[in-house]
Amino acid sequence: MVEVETDLEASMLCVGSLFCERDDRILFEDLNFELKEGQVLQIKGSNGSGKTTLLRNICGLNAGYEGAISWYGDPIRECQEEFYSSLVYIGHRVGVNKVLTPLENLRWSSSLQQVITDDELLDALEQVGLRGYEDSQCFTLSAGQQQRVSLSKLLLSRAKLWVLDEPFTTLDAAGVKQLEALLKTHAGNGGAVMVTTHHTLSVPDLQVLEFG
Amino acid sequence: MTAQTVTTFEAFKATLKRDLLIAYKRKNDMVNPFMFFLIVASLFPIGISPDPDRLAEIASGVLWISALLASLLAMDNLFRSDYEDGSLEQLLLSPHPLYFLVLAKNISHWLVSGLPVALVSPLVAYMLNLPSESYFTLFITLLIGTPVLSLLGSIGVALTVGLGSRGLILAVITLPMSVPVLIAGTLTVQQTLNGASLAGYLAILAAMLFAAVSFAPLASAAALRISVN
Amino acid sequence: MWLWFSKLGSPKWFYELSGKWLPWLAAGMSLLLIVGIIWALLFVPPDYQQGDTIRIMYVHVPFASISLAFFPLMAVAGTITLVWRMKLADMVAKTAAPLGAWFTALALASGSIWGSDIWGTWWIWDGRLTSMLLQFFLLVGVISLRSAIEDADAAAKACALLAIVGCINVFVIKYSVDWWNTLHQPSGSFSLSDEAPNPPEVWVPLVIMIVAVYLFFVVSLILSTRNEILERERRSQWVQELIEAN
Repeated sequence: MVEVETDLEASMLCVGSLFCERDDRILFEDLNFELKEGQVLQIKGSNGSGKTTLLRNICGLNAGYEGAISWYGDPIRECQEEFYSSLVYIGHRVGVNKVLTPLENLRWSSSLQQVITDDELLDALEQVGLRGYEDSQCFTLSAGQQQRVSLSKLLLSRAKLWVLDEPFTTLDAAGVKQLEALLKTHAGNGGAVMVTTHHTLSVPDLQVLEFG
Repeated sequence: MTAQTVTTFEAFKATLKRDLLIAYKRKNDMVNPFMFFLIVASLFPIGISPDPDRLAEIASGVLWISALLASLLAMDNLFRSDYEDGSLEQLLLSPHPLYFLVLAKNISHWLVSGLPVALVSPLVAYMLNLPSESYFTLFITLLIGTPVLSLLGSIGVALTVGLGSRGLILAVITLPMSVPVLIAGTLTVQQTLNGASLAGYLAILAAMLFAAVSFAPLASAAALRISVN
Repeated sequence: MWLWFSKLGSPKWFYELSGKWLPWLAAGMSLLLIVGIIWALLFVPPDYQQGDTIRIMYVHVPFASISLAFFPLMAVAGTITLVWRMKLADMVAKTAAPLGAWFTALALASGSIWGSDIWGTWWIWDGRLTSMLLQFFLLVGVISLRSAIEDADAAAKACALLAIVGCINVFVIKYSVDWWNTLHQPSGSFSLSDEAPNPPEVWVPLVIMIVAVYLFFVVSLILSTRNEILERERRSQWVQELIEAN
């Protein structure tokens, strides 16, 4: 493990000498970057280059890496509760149960982090354009609509770090615009975002990490 | 909006409620293990003998084995849909100790799969000509024993949740592990027939439940972290 | 301490050291095995009750006793895998599972051959046989879980966890099966190891056979772990050099 010399105060997430190998293939090695409050980090790269693995390494879903990942200076393994209270992750599988309604899904997933009233939930669903669908079961919704259900989590969450894996894929033009605006607001409020996408993002202070 | 954090107990309740709601909406998953229990139990008289005396002798074992198989059949639902739709990742990323969330899922799963089997067991016991003085014991042993089966099975399910062909592996892993519960359950029921005191037997079953509640969710939680990667 | 520990975990170090020990272990094993078998077959006096059948004991007891060692071994290796992520521990655990299944199967087979003479049947639900059978099923479970998970790292961790849970379970199974067995069988029935105090000419060859089978186990474990090391480290420099040297 290598101690990374950085200004720990300002950086929210700090990744040092990250190495990950899968099936005898090195996905990335000696990867160093840091994410400061108010920054959006876009991770670009070809298919299979390890973008998703990197995000899952950072969230602690995949422990098959070597190196240091720290949250405000503490290794994430040692401040798990604090880190997970400040994290929203939306992966390929968006975490929306198909037999439940959007409202029920949202009620559970947000209740893992904070107390939220039903009015706030309905309000969030309205903002992502799902008003009127809150009582239909999710298998009747399209993939894009299900993606919107998971994105409404972002509206509700007070978490500082958003980790989004290809959040734009199933969204329509209006949805893309809305999500971009959401990222901007979040960064403006001092939050940080890690996002994998091929989409050209128009947000200020955009950092880009290019993968092989 | 002031951020008000959720206590672990509230997260536990929310998870329990959600899983019960899903079970309620997928009635098939709820009814199938129960029907399976009835069907397996009724195969024994057909396969062995309809003779009341012989049935009385094997009834406690038949009921327990049927309950064991029904619990195995029901297990696969525990984490599968959550794994497939990504809810499991959200569960792993919650700031609360995974032990309690897994326990909540186990409890809700038992309420819809194990409890109905225990409740209906006296009826099936009557059909299998089990002497009536042991109905209550049978019910009690299943009430204590089926949660142990669910908790043990949960470890196996958590280990195999990501696999394509997991049915048989799950059975090979969980069935031998369930043997102690099967032994304690059937012996207790047979003990009633001998008219002996049950306190010691029930204490052993209760100890198994206590141990399973304390440790199995920890193992399941560790297994989930391994399976999701 | 830490340095020593990480050195112990290095597959290359293990490969070289085990290569030096292997001939000695194998020689010791062969010697003891030959002495033990000849002694047991030709020089041990026939049992006053069982006659020549008693000679099966010299195969059965060593296999049965070593079979009991597998789950604790795998659980210890599993704990090391999960806590310290040591590769070598997982290689040992991986090779131990099939070996354990074989040894357990041999113990079961020799037990049932022995039983066929003294009980007049190949199988009875004797407490020892039953818990041995259940242990065999659990080992098969570990093996099939290993083969079902494609990702080697996930398979290692999953099997490590299952071995730990299984080890606890094997003990619970053993006690509960004994309990079940005493309640179901009239007391005084003949059990496989209900031996009267034996004279030295009976137990000395038994000890020799037990040691020989333990050595056999160690040699098999080392051999298959070495194979596993070569396969997993096939891309590393020292394995490449080894291949070129041969």
